[in-house]
Amino acid sequence: MLSDLRFRLRALFQSDAVESELDDELQFHMEKEVEKNKMAGVPEQEAIRRARIAFGGNDQVKEECREARGTSFVETTLQDLRYGFRSMVRNPVFFSIAVLTLALGIGASTAIFSLVNTILLRPLPYPKADRVLMLWRKAPLAIVGSEVFPWNPREVRILLQTANTFQNIGAFKKDSFNLTGVSNPELLEGVRATAGMFTALGVPPTLGRPFSSEDDSPGPELVVILSNRLWQTRFGADRAIIGKAINLNGSAYTVIGVMPATFTFPNTEGIPDVLDLPKETQLWVPLALPMAYPVGGPNELGVIAELKSGVTPSRVQEDLAVFEKRLQEQIPQEKGWTSRAIPLAQQTISDTRRPLLLLLGAVTVVLLIACSNVAGLSLNRSIARRRELTLRGALGARRGRLIRQLLTESLLLSLGGGLLGIGLGEAGIFVAKRFGPETIPHLRETGLDLRVITYAVAVTAITGVLFGLVPALGATRMNLIEALKERSQRSGGSTTAPKIRNTLLMAQMALALVLVIAAGLLVRSFYRMLRSDAGFDATRVITFELPLPSTKYSDTDRMAQVYKEILDHLQSIPGVRSAGIASVVPMGGAPDGTGIRIPEHPRLRDSEAPYANYSFISAGYFSSIGAQLLRGRDVTDADTLQGMPVTIINATMAKKYFPGEDPMGKQVGVGLTRFPARTIIGIVADIKHGSLREEAAPEMFVPYTQNEIRIWPSMQTMQFAVRTQTDPASLAASIERAVHSVDPDLPIAKLATLTMLVSNSMTADRLSMLLVGSFGTLALILASIGMYGVISYSVMQRTSEIGVRMALGAARGEIFIMVIGQAARLAGTGIVIGIIAALASTHLMSHFLYGIGASDPTTFVLVAALLILTALLACYIPARKAMKVEPMLALRYE
Amino acid sequence: MTNPRIDLPQGTLDLLILRTLALGPQHGWAISERVQQVSSEVLRIQQGSLYPALHRLERRGWIRAKWGTSDNNRRAKYYELTRQGQKQLEVEKDSWLKLTAAVARVLESA
Repeated sequence: MLSDLRFRLRALFQSDAVESELDDELQFHMEKEVEKNKMAGVPEQEAIRRARIAFGGNDQVKEECREARGTSFVETTLQDLRYGFRSMVRNPVFFSIAVLTLALGIGASTAIFSLVNTILLRPLPYPKADRVLMLWRKAPLAIVGSEVFPWNPREVRILLQTANTFQNIGAFKKDSFNLTGVSNPELLEGVRATAGMFTALGVPPTLGRPFSSEDDSPGPELVVILSNRLWQTRFGADRAIIGKAINLNGSAYTVIGVMPATFTFPNTEGIPDVLDLPKETQLWVPLALPMAYPVGGPNELGVIAELKSGVTPSRVQEDLAVFEKRLQEQIPQEKGWTSRAIPLAQQTISDTRRPLLLLLGAVTVVLLIACSNVAGLSLNRSIARRRELTLRGALGARRGRLIRQLLTESLLLSLGGGLLGIGLGEAGIFVAKRFGPETIPHLRETGLDLRVITYAVAVTAITGVLFGLVPALGATRMNLIEALKERSQRSGGSTTAPKIRNTLLMAQMALALVLVIAAGLLVRSFYRMLRSDAGFDATRVITFELPLPSTKYSDTDRMAQVYKEILDHLQSIPGVRSAGIASVVPMGGAPDGTGIRIPEHPRLRDSEAPYANYSFISAGYFSSIGAQLLRGRDVTDADTLQGMPVTIINATMAKKYFPGEDPMGKQVGVGLTRFPARTIIGIVADIKHGSLREEAAPEMFVPYTQNEIRIWPSMQTMQFAVRTQTDPASLAASIERAVHSVDPDLPIAKLATLTMLVSNSMTADRLSMLLVGSFGTLALILASIGMYGVISYSVMQRTSEIGVRMALGAARGEIFIMVIGQAARLAGTGIVIGIIAALASTHLMSHFLYGIGASDPTTFVLVAALLILTALLACYIPARKAMKVEPMLALRYE
Repeated sequence: MTNPRIDLPQGTLDLLILRTLALGPQHGWAISERVQQVSSEVLRIQQGSLYPALHRLERRGWIRAKWGTSDNNRRAKYYELTRQGQKQLEVEKDSWLKLTAAVARVLESA
């Protein structure tokens, strides 16, 4: 309504004029009423009194008029804000502590959470990612092992023919390509893929074209699509590269496209290890599945498929069931196998979810502590204000009005804390971006997550309001006269409030303890891991991988010969102590495994068939990586195919398959009996392969000069370990020269010092340790602030009591001990509760621990002691203050 | 007190104000006097409660305020009925009469 609006606007913007008009109006009324009374013969004083009684409470009427005019919301809010600011200035300690607590809680936790969120949970950079499923084969129950399996080419062929809920189906597998003809030869990790993979994901190349359906059938022309990084680093971002040929594995491939930098699908991120994928795909080559397969072919293909629009999950299941039926008609061996479809987005986050949950838990605990801190502070404050509130109530302020006032102040507090928190968070992210390691993906793209900020601010604001308001409500409900009669609010006050406050403090202590224990467990695990016996000595060892191009080297004898030559060259480099090769060096990947037979222990059932990793090594490999030969002898170059077949087993294998026996001289072989069993000539201490965390598996080592199986395990790619006398990195160039003096076309891959590889394998552990550690520190700081607040408030409240005690002869030292004792009781109870909570919850993080239990007593005791110490430090200042109370002054307060 | 007064039923104050103003513009005190006189002092109205009601009616646009000069040459705020207020008065009067008639019938029949 127009009149309404005009009216409100006038009230808002000309509030002074409106106020004085109201005064005039009411004044006029009073004058008339007094006049009337006087006319009736009442004396002046009595006339005024009667007029006032007849009129009622003047201020109340004014307030109601203001409300009736409808301006009051904005107006009273402004008034409340002014009042809020004034009380902030009057209580700088309370407000700065509260705002700081909020800021730390909100800022630090959201900053870290935003980082984790961007790094681990970012959406996939494919436009159609939410419509894309990843398909897997699922084994019948009888076959144990992996959850899901890749596809074989024949299964994919049939899927392509039968499936009608998908519009694009893409298959892919990893392959390595030796790039020659451009400066140094380099081994590139690439992917063979069908055209469907690109169309399903919906990412077009930045240059050139994607694969077409013609590329999917085997043809004479070889084409390749380059990754943005490969194009930048090896081809100088040459835009004219399309149509040119590059040399891969000795053949000429025509470059038809370059993908954008964000596209590196498929890679290891989140996709199970069962599908061996590159860490970062550098090029794509058509998969070109042969039209017909006599047998299934190897199960090595990953499959993604794009849903047709409007297709429901149940339709997909029906569709896959039809496919399954067709498959079993054509291939009887497929009986019992099923297919599984997992949304791509879900597939790629599952593996990163665990550390995220740990951090989410830590963030929640920090926020809880911040909340309880603010709750305690608000509680203190509203109790201190009871007198003020009762007084204002007595002067005619209505309850609703008082509550509004308190609400406004709480919100003001949250706003201050929130703003400062955002500032702190931004600062934290800036520091992380500036100084964070380059290796963390997407770190540079991180921004503060608004949703998390909003959530954190809202939670703390609600707590503040709740705890500021509830006691205040009690205060306004109080009998006004009784309240005003109370001589001093200091000695009286509510009895429930300190209980709530103490409970809050204990909760804080308990929460902080849980978090610090979690951090402590991670730190101890990390150092356990560092000090653990990895079975090798990483100092001054450099390792690399040498994939022999299959075009030139296909025969195992030829391979063994070139390895031998290279080893000889390496050993003659000045500064090299020893050099050796193995199928996998430490941190170089997972070794191949096989079912084995031990003639002396014939297996009773198939399901009990022993299993062991099977790796080739050269003489001197063990001494190169610093592995410890526990018994027997090392292999030598004299162990050839003409000699006795020998093997060295690891300690775990000796213990597991030869319990209570001496394995030396005994026989062990691969499952197939047409290959001879090998004689055990030595036992080596367990060597860890993937990470320091892993438990050793039984493993047998066979001299590479005795490869009678030939086709398995492949010797096409072997890894080298070189032990040096000085800094191994300085020998990198000499090592490359030595390799290329044997064959200049050999690509050297993954050249790195073993120390660095070990350190890289611990990146994730280090990150969780640092993050949870910083949360723990934060929790400790917040809990100390809470402790300080509660104790100093209690000292202030007890000033007169302390004065009385002193007047009655208590020594200052006793007062000090009394205050400290109070703090220690609170902290102690909190710690006991915290230990119980920690015992109940730390087992959730056992996945992250190494070498210690989830209830590691050392950590628990140390952390509890640390917390007690912190708590006592926090109340040192208030205790000192209590000690220095002047009895005379304190008593005069009464 | 020998003369028991009745508290004003909820919402009727507005009706009384509108009815009073229908006779011509008045200031607050005069309205209060008038209501008391006419009701033969049966209704108990706290004088102060009149003003929030006046301001509320003004906001709704049923009455209009003007500053004028009172009989003893004092500046006073006069309220008068607007056209909309007149309509509102009819509506409220009507519903009031219906209500009281209905209540009366119920009481008599009982």
